[in-house]
Amino acid sequence: MTNVLSLLVVIPLAGLIPLFLFRRDERAAKQVAITTTFVELVVSLWMVKQFVVGEPGFQLVEKLEWLPSLGISYLVGVDGISVLLVPMTTLLTFIAVLYSSGGAIKTRIVEYMTAFLLLEVGMVGVFIALDLFLFYIFFELMLVPMYLIIGIWGGPRRIYATLKFVIFTLAGSLLMLVGIVAVYLQSADASGSRTLSLPDLIELRGRFPADFQFWVFLAFALAFAIKMPMVPFHTWLPDAHVEAPTAGSIVLAGVLLKAGGYGFLRFGLPLFPIGVQAWLPVLIVLSVIAILYGAIVSAVQKDLKKLVAYSSVAHMGFVTLGIFVLNLQGGVGAVLQMLNHGFVTGALFLFVGIQYEKTHRRMIADLGGLANMWPLFTTFFGVFVLASLGLPGLNGFIGEFLVLLGAFKFGGVPLGGLFWGPLAAIGVILAAVYLLWMFQRVMYGPVREAYRALPDLSRLEIACALPLLLLTVILGVVPQPFIAYIEPSLDRVIRLATDPSFVVVAFK
Amino acid sequence: MTGADIAAVSPEIIVTAVALIVLVADAVFDRRRAALILPLLTVAGLVVALASVFNVVPAAQYFRGFVTIDAFTSFFRAVFILLAIFAAAVSPAYLASRRVPAGEYYAIICFSTVGAMTIALSSDLITLFIGLETMTIPIYVLAGIQRTDRFANEAAIKYFLLGAFSSALLLYGFVWLYGITKATDFVTIARVLTAQGIANGPTIVALALVTVGLGFKAAIVPFHQWTPDAYDGAPTPATAFMSVGPKAAAFAAILRVLLGALGPLGVDWSAVLAVLAALTMTGGNIVALAQTNTKRMLAYSSIAHTGYILAAVAAAKAGPSAGAAVLFYVFAYGLMNLGAFACLLYFDLEGTRGASLDELNGFARRQPLGALAFGIFLVSLTGIPPTIGFVAKFVVIQPVLDAGLAWLAVVIALNAVLAAFYYLRVVVRMYMYDPEEKQPRLVSGRALSVSLGIASFAVIVLGILPNSIYRWALEAAQPLVR
Repeated sequence: MTNVLSLLVVIPLAGLIPLFLFRRDERAAKQVAITTTFVELVVSLWMVKQFVVGEPGFQLVEKLEWLPSLGISYLVGVDGISVLLVPMTTLLTFIAVLYSSGGAIKTRIVEYMTAFLLLEVGMVGVFIALDLFLFYIFFELMLVPMYLIIGIWGGPRRIYATLKFVIFTLAGSLLMLVGIVAVYLQSADASGSRTLSLPDLIELRGRFPADFQFWVFLAFALAFAIKMPMVPFHTWLPDAHVEAPTAGSIVLAGVLLKAGGYGFLRFGLPLFPIGVQAWLPVLIVLSVIAILYGAIVSAVQKDLKKLVAYSSVAHMGFVTLGIFVLNLQGGVGAVLQMLNHGFVTGALFLFVGIQYEKTHRRMIADLGGLANMWPLFTTFFGVFVLASLGLPGLNGFIGEFLVLLGAFKFGGVPLGGLFWGPLAAIGVILAAVYLLWMFQRVMYGPVREAYRALPDLSRLEIACALPLLLLTVILGVVPQPFIAYIEPSLDRVIRLATDPSFVVVAFK
Repeated sequence: MTGADIAAVSPEIIVTAVALIVLVADAVFDRRRAALILPLLTVAGLVVALASVFNVVPAAQYFRGFVTIDAFTSFFRAVFILLAIFAAAVSPAYLASRRVPAGEYYAIICFSTVGAMTIALSSDLITLFIGLETMTIPIYVLAGIQRTDRFANEAAIKYFLLGAFSSALLLYGFVWLYGITKATDFVTIARVLTAQGIANGPTIVALALVTVGLGFKAAIVPFHQWTPDAYDGAPTPATAFMSVGPKAAAFAAILRVLLGALGPLGVDWSAVLAVLAALTMTGGNIVALAQTNTKRMLAYSSIAHTGYILAAVAAAKAGPSAGAAVLFYVFAYGLMNLGAFACLLYFDLEGTRGASLDELNGFARRQPLGALAFGIFLVSLTGIPPTIGFVAKFVVIQPVLDAGLAWLAVVIALNAVLAAFYYLRVVVRMYMYDPEEKQPRLVSGRALSVSLGIASFAVIVLGILPNSIYRWALEAAQPLVR
């Protein structure tokens, strides 16, 4: 079966039908959503199974004429960069839906699940779209459901947070739309036929002159930088995360932020090699600033959820650093870091949410001594905290190590990789500081009377956390199979980005 | 006048006949039956007219060159009739509850549509002017049809005075054109202008007068001042129609005159229009941001959309894609803006007032379907996929960039962000606030809900599959390129 990618787009949409039919019955709605996201997860794993490792080009490609008068087609496919991000998305969505059905969401369940299924369409679509028009549609499709999820089921300042989130994201993506149209016009050949298909555009990129690349890459970069988010465009993130319901935070941190990094790798680097070179110093410096700034700001947070949110800024800094050092180690590290961050930070938000559901406190100062009552919670949470700070043997280490390796080797910025690399490495140490300090204040110390009677993890909560825990360990101990998926395609992207005259024929 | 001439204008004849039949029916039936029969009659008649648009007569000139039938004409005829059908279908409940004379209302919409259609088929300044007046004069009446409401009176007077003023300017510009070229038909005007060169005083005066006159009709900043008050004061279903029908017609006129007759002056007017477009979208959006009444907000936002359409006109040198962008945007705008205004019809408020933001609180709980439709229209107006509004933005940005107006494309993008802010604020009110103690009563007309359902569905389906409409728009834009 070759239509597995379209199936991934259709399944959540198909799930909307029973959801609509059972709109009066909340229990049924929950079951429908859980089943749909589970089927989606299974199909995405099946998709991974069909993927041929070692092949750098796009696989499982499907093409359908869509807007022939504009030269736009429905074109989907995966390569080594996206093939693992898709099951990450489906897994996190499944966990988010599963956790939400446990009682964390009390009002308007049916609408909530509808939003999540629509969100999943957008998220999966972003990672498989190979036509810029299609990509843009999926990119924006993520926006409205998340806007509603934060705005309806979020915390007290949810409306401010959700509007800020939407306005920031929209500002970036609309500029990207201008960039996309510019690419579209520039792709015209002598006969005037135009295209937005990525494989074709990669072949045609010789038609993009230097100053065109400079501006259009900027338009794309702004959209992705806001989505990631890179400093100084990160200010929407703490607000959105703090106000979002737990499941929203999981998906927002786990998947939506990845759309930015993925966009750089998928479109920014291969299409605009000259533009990338021009903006490289700025992007590297901003990445290092993000790593250090994110870490320092995390350290002084009083709110547990905000701390995890700011740590995302630092972790995303590693992703962009790895991407823009433009070598294989850095790039592979960046993709691994995206996966790791998805699992680990998703898990951290899950545990902050679980903790909040029990204690109804999120201020670090109000917590303490939880370890004594909740051994299971402590174990899980501890592992994820250690993974997040990059302990060898857990997944966080591999990604950050490779990124730093790539950064040290890199010479394309003023002062060289031997200046910026070690600076970024300080970020790893700072991460240990703020995460361990937080863990100590929250989990240890005297037990508070108010929390004494609270139960440890429920079975549902364990079920949500266990897959993430397993992946954290497996990715940390045996990263090689995962790297084998990523490496060939990434190598190709790096060669496209570093050599403007490098030409590939995209399809087998 | 031959049989072929009559056949060429059969859609206009049918719409006129519908208007007359409605007036007679209004006199024949008693009030209760009329409330049911009149909208049915109007919609059915307009559907017949719509079908007759596709009954193709050969693309040629008729009435000795006063009338042109081409793909452009057909496109606009279809758009005007569709909008009239939509406007008629959403109105009955409102008209009944406010005791607006229904017969007059439907007839006026039909008469105005005939005027708009006449603009689309004009190939001569005289036909165009007659069409323009036939379209606007009924709208003055429509604005003031709630006779006892002082805001409606204010709206009608303002609209009438400024409309008359702008018509005079436009007519004066036409006179100058005639003086320069000794012709009133577009083809000859264009030919003479090309022959005698363009950089002379009288031509510039004529161009300026025509631009300003048409600018008033389309509500381009700084000639937009009448719009908010006229839109705000008119009965809401009339506003819904006013905001799309006459605007689409104004753009039909702009395309016919500027591209058709004044095409040789393109270098002059396109630079001016680009600046006006930027001013219009930015001005409309900024003032819309400050509104707390949704009706006024939508009024200003419709000015902003004028700016986007105008940007595509300014990009005319990009070729047929510019004309197609105007047509596509006009169609998309008509659908979503009429829909958005019509969603306000759910609120039973005194006079012609529109719902304030506070009154929208919790609307999603009280009227889930209406809120969903409103939400879809607003998301589409913002330009977020997968809606027709997004495709419209995409097709507008394309010729704008192609014509080398990169700055204008960026202005469009930034304006869409500004607009997102106030559009989404409405969604916030509907979905994220709880209804307050004393919320206005809601009217639920079945016709209203059904037509809004169809329209919002179309907004999404055509957002995903816009190909047929766009291809049609491209075809329709071909005759404009000489």
